[in-house]
Amino acid sequence: MPHREVDLSAVGPYADHLGDGLVQMSFTLPVPYSLAARRAALELAGAIGFQEPEVVHYEELTAGYTYFVMYGRATSTVDFTALAQEGFDIEYMSEDEVERFAEAHLGRKVVVVGASTGSDTHSVGIDAMLNLKGYHGHHGLEGYPCFQTYNLGSQVPNSVLLAKAIEVGADAILVSQTVTQQNLHVQNLTELVEMVEAEGRRRDMILVCGGPRVTNELAKELGYDAGFSKGTYPHHLATFIVRELAARVSAPS
Amino acid sequence: MSPPLLSDLTASAPRVALVGLAKNTGKTVALAALLGELARAGRTVGVTSVGRDGEEHDVIDFRIVKPRVELTAGSLVATTDSLLGASGIPSELLARTGVRTPLGEVLIARLKGSGALEVAGPSAASEVREVSDAMLSFGAEQVLIDGAIDRRAASSPDVADALVMSTGAILSESLEEVVARTAEAVELVRLPMLSAEAHTEAKIRALADNSDPGSGLVISEDADEFFALPARFVLTAEPAAIDSLLRERAAPRWLLVAGALPEAFLAGLVPYLRRGGGPLTVLVSDPTRVFISERNAGYYARAGVSIQTLKRIDLRAMTVNPVAPQSHSFDSAQLRALLAQAVGDLEIFDVMHPSYTAAAGLGAPQGVVG
Repeated sequence: MPHREVDLSAVGPYADHLGDGLVQMSFTLPVPYSLAARRAALELAGAIGFQEPEVVHYEELTAGYTYFVMYGRATSTVDFTALAQEGFDIEYMSEDEVERFAEAHLGRKVVVVGASTGSDTHSVGIDAMLNLKGYHGHHGLEGYPCFQTYNLGSQVPNSVLLAKAIEVGADAILVSQTVTQQNLHVQNLTELVEMVEAEGRRRDMILVCGGPRVTNELAKELGYDAGFSKGTYPHHLATFIVRELAARVSAPS
Repeated sequence: MSPPLLSDLTASAPRVALVGLAKNTGKTVALAALLGELARAGRTVGVTSVGRDGEEHDVIDFRIVKPRVELTAGSLVATTDSLLGASGIPSELLARTGVRTPLGEVLIARLKGSGALEVAGPSAASEVREVSDAMLSFGAEQVLIDGAIDRRAASSPDVADALVMSTGAILSESLEEVVARTAEAVELVRLPMLSAEAHTEAKIRALADNSDPGSGLVISEDADEFFALPARFVLTAEPAAIDSLLRERAAPRWLLVAGALPEAFLAGLVPYLRRGGGPLTVLVSDPTRVFISERNAGYYARAGVSIQTLKRIDLRAMTVNPVAPQSHSFDSAQLRALLAQAVGDLEIFDVMHPSYTAAAGLGAPQGVVG
């Protein structure tokens, strides 16, 4: 593999050889299947900034809509060396390792309460993280002997979620929320943090938020201890919670 | 006489919180203006952020370029180890705080050079207070605490001594709506303090001092009788349960809430009041404990339940950002004039407007928001 040739200060996509910038993309335009539609896709790709755009496949999706698969060359690069310094990369433990770690460092069940807050009806993320079934063959925290989980479901008011967390002595609260570019839903996430503060419980509880656009950077702004997004499996979440809890137990602040 | 600047209005407060009503209302621009003024006055500042400041792009909308946080040599900062390292500014490590954030551990350092850096301090209010006090003890003459998004906890009098509030066009496409929502936020911050006959007030304050976080008390008119609310009652009680609990004893007059006061509880008091109960005064520690968005404090007051606080927030000034990035904008002078009418008795600045930058002796800053 040509691994050693990579210039990490100027990283770009590649397909055939390093630096070719080749990107494959697919999208739909709300125009009838036609040569004009193909032309529109090429112009759009050019306008986005792709060089040598090429339509490799297009077809009618339904009347009035055309689906495209395209290639194009991206000329922009990013400085990976700067990004790699940001935040902290943690090494994730397997389910068994989480179990052994919890036994060695905590010696009790870890209580997690989860919900999709406010108006969000998408409980899929919470279900995948908490429920026994999990997803992609990784079962959720409910399946770990060291976790005691409460999944409150969707559209749960923050005050009710917090009350449940206090009632069961939760070590961590997990909320999922779809964050849009218009950040319509961010207020629900910040309100939970503020309410935990108002109840004087902020240092007793690990707050974790998840959702399709939630990064660690966004989690920090929102006031959470961690953020998880697409590609997160339950054992990632479990690793974070048991490690953070162990750190708090060993160094009470 | 020239009009006062942000730094003049906040000069007497050791710890100043900057809190916005939403993202992109200009908190960080206000912070940058304050930092510039304090640097020219030769004051040693300490800076921390409950979120993250000085990043190049907005965390949700990448198209939005954010303001830089420029600090001079000698300034103190509470930020994460990795962000301090990435700034390239030489610094002296004063303390490791042990506070872990999603972006790394928070350090307190004294800068040995000038430059721009990203600031991400503790998120939890009690930890914000601790690092602020640490920076004061390490020689900062004033600590500036930048908020994040619409988080208010840093403005609690338990954390900061004074507040600068930021609002802006981002709240709504309607100018009237921006003014109305800002006025409600100011009304909330300026909730009246506990007002009772001196003897009664002393008894209520003594009860509050002995209350556990999250607990609640129902108190009689003269504060001689009281009983505890069931655990988590304020967070979860339905109107029927509230009604029957308040009718159990004669003449409840005060409700002491030693935690969060959610809107559902206030709304749940209204049926009790409509059926002849009350009037009631709900007492909270400070305005950051009150969570109302559907109705404002005036609505509940008219319904017979007033909200009072044991401690006040010292709101010193307001900044406005007349621009909603990637969307719309208003005329700065008109927005400020309407806000002045609506809130009264508060200095309102647009720190990017020539009228302010000229008074501050600055060139016009770059066209960014924060």
